Parts: sequence; C-alpha cells; structure tokens
Amino acid sequence: MRDEYLLAALRLAAGADPVPGRVGADARAAFHLRLPGGVVAAPVEVRGPAGARSGDGTRGAPEDDGPGMHRFSVAGLTIDVEAVIADGILEVAGQVSPAPGPGAAWQAEIRTSHVSKTRDLSENGRFAVGGLPTGWVSVVCHRPGEPPVSTRWLHVRS
Amino acid sequence: MCSRSVPPSMREVTSMTVEEPLARLDQAAWEDLVARFGGRMWAVARALGLGPADAADAVQGAWLRMVENLDAIRDPERIGAWLVTTTRHEALRLSRRRRGEVAAGHELPDAVLPDPAAAVVDADFGRHAWQRLESLGEPCRSLLRLSVLRPEATYAQIAIRLDISPGSIGPTRARCMSRLRGLLEESA
Repeated sequence: MRDEYLLAALRLAAGADPVPGRVGADARAAFHLRLPGGVVAAPVEVRGPAGARSGDGTRGAPEDDGPGMHRFSVAGLTIDVEAVIADGILEVAGQVSPAPGPGAAWQAEIRTSHVSKTRDLSENGRFAVGGLPTGWVSVVCHRPGEPPVSTRWLHVRS
Repeated sequence: MCSRSVPPSMREVTSMTVEEPLARLDQAAWEDLVARFGGRMWAVARALGLGPADAADAVQGAWLRMVENLDAIRDPERIGAWLVTTTRHEALRLSRRRRGEVAAGHELPDAVLPDPAAAVVDADFGRHAWQRLESLGEPCRSLLRLSVLRPEATYAQIAIRLDISPGSIGPTRARCMSRLRGLLEESA
C-alpha cells in the first residue's frame, strides 16, 4: 500500500479538500481534445545546436517537460517544438520535417486546455504562435489525406 | 486484496465496465468518468504535497494522457486505477521539476499500467483508515492528521505544532505510516 494512496483515501474521507470547480470543468472539457484517427508522436531525446530562440542549445530528456526545445517523432514525421514563456505568456515555435514543400497546405494546430490556434506551415515547415496560456500544450500537424499527428502533451509552466 | 480492504464503493474502481471501446466514449460517459474518479485523482495529487495549482496541472495531465491513449488503453475495467496511477506519475514528475531535479529519461511509459494498489483511494476505505489512525498513540495520531489535512505544511511548521524536532519528523512519520498500515492489514 503506497503512502500517498493511503493519505489520499484519508483525505477523501475527511472531505476537507473538494475538487475545485475549474479542475472538474477542465477535465470535462478535455473530452473535446480527443483526436479521432490521429497518431501520437513520442518525445525523442536530441542533442544539437540551439534553436532560433533557445539559449545554450541544451535539450532535455524525453520526459523533461518545461520551457525549451522538444522533439517528437512518429512514422517518419518529426515535430520540433520550442516553448518559451515571456511575461507569463506562452510562445510556441517549431518545425515539421520533412518539410511540406510548396503548395502542400499543411497546418500546425497548437492546442492548450483552453485555447487552440492554427497556422499554415511555411514551405520549410516552420510555425510560430504567441499569446497562449501556460500549462499543457500539444502541437498537431494536419496534412491533407493523412491522419493528424499530434505531439504528446507537454507541460510548460515557469 | 482482501475483502475488507475493498469496500463496495471502491470496487467500482476495479470492476467498472465501459460498454463501448474507450475510443468511442461519448461526452456523457466521459463526464461520468470525471464524476467517479476526479475526486480520487485530486486527492492523490494533493496527498503528494502539491499545492492547488500544481495539483490541478497533475490531474489535467492525467486526463490529457487518457485523451492521447484512448486507442491504447486495452482494459476499460481498470480505467479508474489507470487514471489514479497516471495522476500519481504526473504529480511526481511535477514535484521533481519543482525541486529542480532533471528527469532521468523514459520514466513515464507511453501508456501507464494501472497499479492495483490504487484501489485503496476510496472514501469508504479512508473512513476505515481514520478509525485505525485515531487508535494510534501520540505523536503518530497528530502527525498523521497533519500529514493528511495539511500535506503542504513544512517540517518547521509541524515541529512547532507538535513540539518535536524538525529532524525527527521524516523518520517518525515513516514509522507512524508503517504502524497504520500494519493496523489496516490486521483488520483486513
């Protein structure tokens, strides 16, 4: 019996700390973040040069959430995501590779628990979005005729 | 697990059935899951010492992991245990990051395996555990009460409250938890 499970059972019985309303509302709203038919790209550990806005070029382990560079990959598609928090606002930039090329009509949808923004990918696969709330974020790559590819949800808070 | 350790309401965690495959859950079924397990998930995140904001992120993280794993979760009968276990994973990851610890790599598998031990996260079992806790002597009774009701309290605050040295709190709490677990196993 794990201590935290026993303590949690005791807390439930005490009834002294009910679930805040917004936590329940966010949980219910998560239903709409499903991506039927989609493919989830797993985090990949990378070492390489600094991204356009990163500092020293270091990149975290796959499970190391937070601001910085993150790479996700599945079935030949790689999504690089750079998350930056400035003045409490989340900015997300990145690149999809291989690049779509001219006229491909690929899009990147940057999703948080509360806000979703979609951008057309440039020919070289780049995208950038600002004005997002900090917290959980995921990038979805939409390609005509292909299943959407989403990154695993990434936790980015200062 | 013994029958006393799994009261009727808690068995919902391990025997709940979802008639439709998880990938075809509708909004009503999803909200039913939130109603059934949201409180247990919150309690686990808070029991790990997270403040309200971090606990909210841990719980939401677990729901988002479910969103991205709907096609991969093969055992809908254990979805409650999966949600509680995943909340624990996310809460521990948040807690480690708050302490400035760097992740060691593939700590969180793509799909968390439900931990059968998560079945004890239940109000009925909690009431039974409170009865046993109240039978403990001091300082265990007061120390565990504080651990339950004020998980974010610092050792300094607890030391003042219970008039014991801060350095002894960790070992004393571990000993008290062990005694409580022993009482619960005896009564099983």
